[in-house]
Amino acid sequence: MNAIAGRRQMKFAKKFVVVTLRYMLLAAVAYQLLYPVLYMLSMALRKPEEAIDPSVIWVPKSFTLSNFADALRVMDFWDALQNSVLIGVGCGLFDVLSCAFVAYGFARFKFPLSGLMFSLVILTLVVPIQTIILPLYADMRYFDAFGLMKLTSVVGGPESISLIGSYWSFYLPSMFAMGLRAGLFIFIFRQFFKGMPNELEDAAYMDGCGPFKTFFQVMLPNAKNAIITVFLFSFVWHWNEYYMSNLLLGNMKKNFAIAISSLRVDLQSVVNAQTISDPLLVVTRIQAGALLAIVPLLLLYLLTQRYFTDSIEHVGIK
Amino acid sequence: MFKSLRAMPYTKKKELYGLLFVLPWIIGFILFFIRPLITSIVYSFQNMELTPQGLKGSFIGWDNYFYALYKDPIFIREAVNSFVNMLYGVPLILVYSLFIAILIKNKFPGRGFMRAVSFLPVIIASGVLMQILKEDVFSQGMRGGVESVYLFTGTGISGLLVELGLGAGLIEVFNNVIARIFDLTWRSGVQVLLFLAGLHTIPSYLYEASSLEGARPWEQFWKVTLPMLTPMMLLNVVYTIIDTFTDYGNSVIMMIYNTAFSQIRFGYSSALAWLYCLAIAMFLGLVYLLLKKRIVYMQD
Repeated sequence: MNAIAGRRQMKFAKKFVVVTLRYMLLAAVAYQLLYPVLYMLSMALRKPEEAIDPSVIWVPKSFTLSNFADALRVMDFWDALQNSVLIGVGCGLFDVLSCAFVAYGFARFKFPLSGLMFSLVILTLVVPIQTIILPLYADMRYFDAFGLMKLTSVVGGPESISLIGSYWSFYLPSMFAMGLRAGLFIFIFRQFFKGMPNELEDAAYMDGCGPFKTFFQVMLPNAKNAIITVFLFSFVWHWNEYYMSNLLLGNMKKNFAIAISSLRVDLQSVVNAQTISDPLLVVTRIQAGALLAIVPLLLLYLLTQRYFTDSIEHVGIK
Repeated sequence: MFKSLRAMPYTKKKELYGLLFVLPWIIGFILFFIRPLITSIVYSFQNMELTPQGLKGSFIGWDNYFYALYKDPIFIREAVNSFVNMLYGVPLILVYSLFIAILIKNKFPGRGFMRAVSFLPVIIASGVLMQILKEDVFSQGMRGGVESVYLFTGTGISGLLVELGLGAGLIEVFNNVIARIFDLTWRSGVQVLLFLAGLHTIPSYLYEASSLEGARPWEQFWKVTLPMLTPMMLLNVVYTIIDTFTDYGNSVIMMIYNTAFSQIRFGYSSALAWLYCLAIAMFLGLVYLLLKKRIVYMQD
């Protein structure tokens, strides 16, 4: 009797230690990762005069929302939000569709040169974007769709159109599985599809589905986790992508990446009435702006992460 | 047309379907990648100059490459540095992110919050936000040596190691590891999310079956979780290697970028980029060959 009680106590103590350890570890990680956000929040809420006041550690002496108001105004927040969301959602969806489609081909079919082609997919990731960004810009500026535009020029249309400043300069590469870091998305989907049991498709083939129907009706719905992952990455990376936005959109469609990168300069010209610029006046407002730019991303993640589920179980294959 | 398709042998038909699936990528590859790429290769053999008439190049053969390999005082050193960084970084990032992913996989109070927190690096460490943070937050906290941010600093531990009588080489390795732990948490957001998604795809009947056979959680981790995660592992290894090499903060990438846009030496910059990519590609190929045999896929 005593022994059983003792063992139960031991078990309980062990569990308690494990749970405590886990929470301590998580707390350490959370602190490390939340540090910049807390810093942003603390800076953004204080008055500019207190920005480097050493007696203020985390909690400001007096709270103010004026930093946010200024940042909203200088960043053209609502415009930037609209542009960023349109690019993020559009490219995210295109990326998911095109990359999943291509990845299925790599995961389940053997065809000549498939190995070489997949290495080339990885190669697109290895080549840094700075290497090809200038020629890419020229391609987008004088876009002629594979020479197809020459046909329209016969009937009097333009020989090429400029995609600069248009969402299509982002959408088009995404539609052809060649968008920002699309190689990684193909890789993600390929690994997921390879991890799925073959029985799934065999059943669909038995029912007389073709490969395309099988892909859309069986494989894609079961790759929910991969879809969420890829959509999140694509959305966030397009949201933050600065080199390409700057070059391909410029000031015609200002998104958050552009707004944030020029925030310091913009603020200095707006906030500083005097000719001598005072960096202190800008510090708090920059943090407010940075915070405003990441809040939508956090909201998106909180909304989507609950859909991470044990996906295969719904199928019932054993 | 359809008749001949139907008459095709099964394997041939499968090849055709495979090609059809990959077709969008082939078009995109030619349209948006090959052309810029070839232009960049051509640049690398030229001496590009910015003239009033625009960018002008004259063919100089392999000169750019010879200069990079034999004369440039920093390129090789920086490249080797980032290679060493990668060798330390990749295993650490993998172990750390797998650990975190397992910690936040199952339900516990506060899981949603922890998942959001572990996603923060993906948001913050990519792109332009990092620059702002480096200017303000990190300069004061993370890089400036304010101790509150570093939960434990390297010096105390290395002193302990000297006392323990470990060799100098080992201590150096250890110090490098410690110095990277903080950087590490910021570079493993993507990997955590990928592992998390991968963990969720492991069918639970494997765990049920193995626990019926009497496997303990520790054994289950080694015999079920880890083998089933190997596809994700390969993905993460490849991604981490590429990410550490091509991150905007990487010194070689900065050098390539500055050579092109500050010094206006497009030709030389392209040559540097090509040498660098070639080295990475070769290394990736080697890693892939080593790991290939150890990947377990569900279908067999």
